[in-house]
Amino acid sequence: MTELLAGRTPGMTLFAAVVCAAASLWLLLPRGQGGRTERVSRWLGGLLGVAALVGLASTGRRLGGLGEESVFLVVSIVAVVSGAATVVCRSPVYAAIWFALALAGVAGVLLVLGAQFLGVATIVVYAGAILVMFLFVLMLAQPAGLAPYDRVSNEPLLSAVTGAVLLGLLTLAIGRMSAGPPICCRMPSKAAALAGTEPTTSPASAASDALAADHVARLGAELFGRHLLAVEAAGLLLLVALVGSIAIVSRGAADAGTAGGRAAT
Amino acid sequence: MTPAALLHDALLVGAILFALGLVGILSRRNLIVMFLSAELMLQGISVSLVAWSRHHGDWGGHVLVIFVLTVAACEAALALVFVLQAFARTGRLDAAAWQALREGNLPRTVDRGLPAVDTLPPTFPRLTPAGVEPAADEDELLEREHV
Repeated sequence: MTELLAGRTPGMTLFAAVVCAAASLWLLLPRGQGGRTERVSRWLGGLLGVAALVGLASTGRRLGGLGEESVFLVVSIVAVVSGAATVVCRSPVYAAIWFALALAGVAGVLLVLGAQFLGVATIVVYAGAILVMFLFVLMLAQPAGLAPYDRVSNEPLLSAVTGAVLLGLLTLAIGRMSAGPPICCRMPSKAAALAGTEPTTSPASAASDALAADHVARLGAELFGRHLLAVEAAGLLLLVALVGSIAIVSRGAADAGTAGGRAAT
Repeated sequence: MTPAALLHDALLVGAILFALGLVGILSRRNLIVMFLSAELMLQGISVSLVAWSRHHGDWGGHVLVIFVLTVAACEAALALVFVLQAFARTGRLDAAAWQALREGNLPRTVDRGLPAVDTLPPTFPRLTPAGVEPAADEDELLEREHV
């Protein structure tokens, strides 16, 4: 059925999916209503979101079969659905938890793409460190219950339409690129272009290179060989961010202390 | 799954994540949720970079994603410090609390009255009293309801 839909009028399907995505995001975003209206609009938004997902998937290629495809389908749906829940969730704590699930989905996508180190690093660095930091700040700063600013959005209709149109354009561009001739597979490396020879890495050997057993060793060799200066710069950036954040915090505390002292005297 | 199909689907996932993050950062007012949306956009970019890297058989995408992780960690540290400072000054995690910094020709964000969250009290069935009223037990009258 999806093939029929996509085969007949892919443009119309894409348009309908984009409209569905916009309506769904608009319905799901907090707009300050309450009670039954909110519940109905949430259900409607969820249904429309599922319809938009089906439409977007059918404009792509038919997803099916077992193995890599189904794993990719599952992890990408986890990533996309929990990403949407991150954006539309009223409570920021729930949004952070949904973001953790989105990170798990993204890590799964990276694993399917053969980036083992990056998949694990995403979980460790994002879910383990950055997200926990966000949750600490939420515990420090979040008032009890839902704050009024969590229940309303800035221009929900305009931003939902903006995001959906951007998504439609990107889907269109990606579909055209994959429908066209595979010129992208033959990008010569700089050294080969300088030497005037054919590129030695064909896509097949490239895939086997990325999926090699010593994947992490090769990635490390690339990182600390060709990109050594960038690694040093990144280390400097981390140090500056650390020093800067400590300086800002301690200065803010000092200001608060002098203000409190002034108030006391 | 052919490499082209994998590239197509991964780019699609990256585009969806990026668009969702864009919607979040445009519309949400909680500072923390805005930063979470920015991180979601970074995740979409990471997926696209790794997909291209796999397609071309080049390590550049992987290396770029590692630097994205690094910069995201720095950004989160500094952003959370600023959020904490902002919270210490205004007592709210609200982006509109800083709307005095907006452009002069933009209207002021005003919160209208919001309907209450639907926390209805539980309704229990009521039975009509019937029969003879039993005599009150004197021991029960002396008991406390809560210890």
